[in-house]
Amino acid sequence: MLHLLDVRCKFLMMCLVSMSMLSAQVFACFFYFLVLLFFFKKTGLNIFATLNSIKYFILFLFFIFAARALALKGDSLFSFYGLSVTKQGLNDGFLVAFRFFLVMLTGLLFSSTTKPSSVKSAVQWFLKPVPFVPEKRVAVMISLSLSFMPVILKQAKEVSEAQKARCGDLQKNPIKRIIRLVLPLLKKTFLSADYLVLAMESRCYSDDRTDPEFTPSGKEFFFFAGSVVLSLSLVCL
Amino acid sequence: MTKNIIDINAICHTFADGYIGLKNISVSISKGEFIILAGKNGSGKTTFLRHLNGLLLPDSGVIFVKGLDVSKHLVQTRKTVGMVFQDADTQIVGDTVFDEVAFGLENLKVKRAEINKKVTLILEDLNLFHLKDRSPSTLSGGEKRKLAIAGILVMDPEVIVFDEPFSNLDYPGTIQVLSTIIDLNRSGHTIIIATHDVETVICEATRIIMMEDGQIKKDGTPDCIVKHLESFGVRQPCSSKFGMGLQPWLS
Ligand SMILES: Nc1ncnc2c1ncn2[C@@H]1O[C@H](COP(=O)(O)OP(=O)(O)OP(=O)(O)O)[C@@H](O)[C@H]1O
Ligand SMILES: [Mg+2]
Repeated sequence: MLHLLDVRCKFLMMCLVSMSMLSAQVFACFFYFLVLLFFFKKTGLNIFATLNSIKYFILFLFFIFAARALALKGDSLFSFYGLSVTKQGLNDGFLVAFRFFLVMLTGLLFSSTTKPSSVKSAVQWFLKPVPFVPEKRVAVMISLSLSFMPVILKQAKEVSEAQKARCGDLQKNPIKRIIRLVLPLLKKTFLSADYLVLAMESRCYSDDRTDPEFTPSGKEFFFFAGSVVLSLSLVCL
Repeated sequence: MTKNIIDINAICHTFADGYIGLKNISVSISKGEFIILAGKNGSGKTTFLRHLNGLLLPDSGVIFVKGLDVSKHLVQTRKTVGMVFQDADTQIVGDTVFDEVAFGLENLKVKRAEINKKVTLILEDLNLFHLKDRSPSTLSGGEKRKLAIAGILVMDPEVIVFDEPFSNLDYPGTIQVLSTIIDLNRSGHTIIIATHDVETVICEATRIIMMEDGQIKKDGTPDCIVKHLESFGVRQPCSSKFGMGLQPWLS
């Protein structure tokens, strides 16, 4: 259902709802959490697998929560080493962490129902009315980095293995080790970038390209209206 | 002049560091030929091929593709002469198989509906259609090479230039790519293959050009050239070594 929706619409919906999250209260947050759960269930995504993939982020949220809880002044609940945990702090920390968490889940829902290449098309479409931004070049850049990332990672692995094969891991100084890894990697990356330029040129690369295609599913209006109502109610609740 | 699809007249190329890559090369290539460009490492094969596509321009001399001077008609040349590079990994531009094939057509500002039609046709032809939403980096070596071929085939070139098309391929991968190349030649494309492993393709070839030190040393039919291969550092095919003539590599 979400998979088939036009990316541009999804993109706008995501922005809208995330923005309204910033001023949502605890009750609204819970409500939105339920809505999100419903969509996760609908799209067949496993919420536990998703949570697992952002576990470091959750740790980070916990730090935010702790920092808030300790820093805010108010009625002290208990204290140790001169730091006191306040009631207001707990409330506020919980709310902030919850909001971040929900925004994160929204983003995950978006990215797992959208192909990277259509995100690129959407970015290109949104940048079109912005003056002085060559949107087509940006789009090519995005798709290049998407397709180049695996190549670079593979090369990094090769370089580090080649060094291990010659006992490079006997070197204990981490800085020296990083330098020895990064220099050949950079060189390789530049060389393959050179090569890529040739390959693109041989296929007549030009900035003046065919525009990307969007395939609306026809339900965009319904979903968009729904998300407007949702964000309004999140702000008001 | 009109019969030859490529005419090369006394080109020389010197690299920025003063190394002389090509020395006074003149060749004519007519439509439908299947040419092997052989020579050892560093003999200038890649340098030569890049001139055919306008990626490198000669310091002196001229190249005509379909009667047009390459240095003045770059886009036209690149539409006529498609180039498959040595390293399949780094020539991939798109983030899905479909986008990768569509890239060339998008550059030429072809209408979206037509792009979709052509790309689908080519992917089906090369048996890649079931992979169309995959990321190219997850394909096997043979599939990648075929994808690279698909990416230039959509642009409907008349000449296709391959730089070491069989490097890093296993036996099935080589068969896949080789039979694709043979089909292309049968359907009327002019094929030029640079390689130092002649055995795989020699039986299909109509002509072998031997290069050494940036010069053309021999140019003729496979039967004539075969005996001289080893004096230029290229291995002679087993079958001809043992006096059995040239045997096709695909059974
Ligand atoms: N950009 C460059 N600058 C200087 N010298 C170069 C450059 N590119 C290639 N050369 C030199 O030109 C010579 C021919 O290179 P080329 O790549 O054409 O050889 P090749 O026949 O394709 O070899 P291989 O079989 O290894 O692919 C080599 O000696 C190489 O060192
Ligand atoms: Mg080469």
